Amino acid sequence: MDVIIIDGLSFALPLFIMAIGGIYCEKSGVTMLAVEGLQGFGAFTGALVATLATVNFTGNSSALFYLAMLFAAIGGAAFALIHALLCLKFKANQVISGVVVNILAMALTAYLTKLLNRVLFGATSDKFVLATSARITIPGLSSIPVLGAVFTNLYPFEIVIVLVSFVMWFVLYKTRFGMHLRACGDNPHAVDAAGREVNRIRLSAIVLCGALSGLGGICFAYSISAKFSDSIYVGYGYLAIAALIFGNWRILPTLGACLLFGFARSGGYRLVQILKMPSSYQDLVMILPYVLTLLLLVFFSKQNGAPKALGAIYDKGGR
Amino acid sequence: MKKKKVLASVKVPLLAILVSLIVGGIIIALTGSNPFKAYYSLLQGCGLAPKKSYAGYKNILTDFLSYVNYFTPMIFAALAVAVALRAGLFNIGISGQMLVAGFTATVIVGYSSLNSVLAKPLVIVIGIITGGLAGAVIGFLKYRFNINEVVSSIMFNYIFQYVISFFINTYFVDPVSRQSREVSSAARLTLMDTPVGNLKMDLPLGILIALICVYAVWFLLERTRTGYEMKAVGYSRSAAKYAGIKVGRSMILAMTISGMLSGLAGVTYYLGYVGSIQPKVLISTGFDAIAVSLLGNNHPVGIVFSTMLITMIGKGSTYMKSVANVDAEIASVITGTILLFSACNVYLKWKLEHSKREKEDK
Repeated sequence: MDVIIIDGLSFALPLFIMAIGGIYCEKSGVTMLAVEGLQGFGAFTGALVATLATVNFTGNSSALFYLAMLFAAIGGAAFALIHALLCLKFKANQVISGVVVNILAMALTAYLTKLLNRVLFGATSDKFVLATSARITIPGLSSIPVLGAVFTNLYPFEIVIVLVSFVMWFVLYKTRFGMHLRACGDNPHAVDAAGREVNRIRLSAIVLCGALSGLGGICFAYSISAKFSDSIYVGYGYLAIAALIFGNWRILPTLGACLLFGFARSGGYRLVQILKMPSSYQDLVMILPYVLTLLLLVFFSKQNGAPKALGAIYDKGGR
Repeated sequence: MKKKKVLASVKVPLLAILVSLIVGGIIIALTGSNPFKAYYSLLQGCGLAPKKSYAGYKNILTDFLSYVNYFTPMIFAALAVAVALRAGLFNIGISGQMLVAGFTATVIVGYSSLNSVLAKPLVIVIGIITGGLAGAVIGFLKYRFNINEVVSSIMFNYIFQYVISFFINTYFVDPVSRQSREVSSAARLTLMDTPVGNLKMDLPLGILIALICVYAVWFLLERTRTGYEMKAVGYSRSAAKYAGIKVGRSMILAMTISGMLSGLAGVTYYLGYVGSIQPKVLISTGFDAIAVSLLGNNHPVGIVFSTMLITMIGKGSTYMKSVANVDAEIASVITGTILLFSACNVYLKWKLEHSKREKEDK
C-alpha cells in the first residue's frame, strides 16, 4: 500500500505541473498539444547543464538538482517561443503547430544529445546519465498510519512542485493577471476593449507553460529514468493534456485526475509483483493510464467547459 | 489560370524546402562537414545518383528500387493524413493504426502456410479492414462523446504499442533478433532479393496499390459527393450542418478511410519493407507523414512528390553517415524544419499575395 502511494505521487506530481502549464496556455485561448515536446526539451537542457556541472565542478548533488530544475524551466520556456511564434505571429493552425513543436523537439534533442556528447565530453552516447535524486522522509508526519506514506521517501522535487503549483493556482484565480488571462480564452475582444494586449498575455501564458512543462520533464528524467535519452518521450505530455481535459480546465480537479493516473500506474505495477507474473505482463499494466484516460474522457468530454475562444486566432478586426 | 494556381500552391512548399536545406547545410558545415557532399550522398543513397562502388549484385537500379520500397508506406500514410485533414480532423494515430494492421496481418497470414496467390491479397484486405476499424473507433468517439481525436488517437497509439509488444514477447518472439518471427515470403508484399540478370532486386508490389490509391483519393475528394461533403465539414462544421450534411457520418467516414490507408501503410511496411515487428517501438512514419502531407498541400499528387523528397532525406541518411560522416539524426532535424515552415503555409501564402498586390497598386 505504501509503495503504491509513494510511487503514485512521484508520477502524479510532475504530470500535474505539466497539466497546470497546459491549463494556463489553454485558458488563454491557445490550444496546447506541445507539452510532450516542451517537457522533453526542458529535460534536455536541464540534463545538459547538470552533466556539464558534474564534469567541471564537484558540488553536492542536491544543489546540482535544483540547478538542473532551473535550467529545465528556462529551456522549456525558450522552446515554447516557437509555438508562440507560429500561433501568434504566423497565425498557424494551433493543433498542427503543437505537433510540429513535438516532432522538432524530438529530432533536435536526439541530434544535439549525440553531438554534444561527442564535442563536449568526447563520448559516443545518445544519453546523459543523471543520478537518481535523493529521497527524504519527513520525521513525525511520516509515522501517521496510511497517510504517513505521503511524507515518506519523498523526492525533493515533489515539495518544489507543490509550492510552485500553489503559486500558480493563486496567480490564475486570485490576481488581476490571472483574470485577464482567463478572459483571453473566453472573450479576447473584451480584454482588448479593456486596454490589454491579447497576444502579449497569450505569449506569457505559452512561455509559462513551457517553463512548467520543462520542470515536469526534468522531474521524470531524475526519478523514473535516471537519464536523459529519447525514452523521455513516452507520451506523459499527452497524458497531462488528457488530465486537464478530464479536470475540466480547472486546477484542483486536474490534480485529482493526475493522482488517479499515478495510483492506477503504481497499483498496476504492484499487482504484477504481488501476483508474481512474468515481467512481460508489465507491458499490459503500462496501458492502464491510457485506457483509464479514454474511459474517463468517454464520460466527461460531453459536458466539457473548454474555453470558448480556444484554438481561434485572435483577429482584432474580426467580430 | 490553372497553371498560375498550381504555381502559387507550389511556391510556399518549395520555399520551405529551400530554407530548411540551407538551415541544415549551415548546421552540417558548423559540425565540420561539407554540406554539398552530404546532400549529394543523400541522392547516392537513394539510387538517384551513382555511387563510386557497389557491392555484388547491386547497382544504381537496386538502390532505387529499395528506395521505392522504403517510401511506399509513406505515400499511404500521407494520404491518410490528407483525407482526415481535409475533413477537419487530425489523425495522429497513424503509426498505431499501421502497427495494429501489420500485426493482425502478420499473425493471421504471415505465419500461415497459404500460397502467395491467396496470401498477398488476404494481407492487403486484412490491413484495410483492421486499419479502417481502428480509424472508425476514433471517429466514433469524436462524434458520439466529443473526445478530441488527437488525444484519443495518441492514447490508442500507446495501447496498441504495449498490447502488441506483450503478445509478440509472449508468443511470437524470435529468440535471436528479439523481434517477431519473420513472415513467410508468400505473404511478403515485397519480392525480396529477386534475381534479375546479374542483379538481386527488391520488387515492391505495394507501389502499384499506392498509385491506385493516389488516384482514388483524388477522385473521392474532387469528383464525388461524399468527398465534397467531407471537405465542407472540414471548412466549417456548422455551415455544413446548416446545409443539411450529416456531419457525424462524414467525420466517421473520413476517419475510417484515413484508417484504411494507414492499414495499407502498415502492411506495406511490416510485411513489405521489413518483414517483422520490433516490440515496444512505434515507427516515426505516421508522424513524418504529417510533414509530408502538409508539404504536399494535402493534395494527392503533391503528396507523391513530397513523399519522395522527405523519404530521400531519411533513406539517404545512412549512406550520408558513412560517406560524409554526418550524424543520421540530422535527417529528422531537417524534416522538422521543413514541417515548421509548412505550418506557416497559410500566413506565407497570404504574405506573398499581399506584397504582390501592394506592388501592383503602386
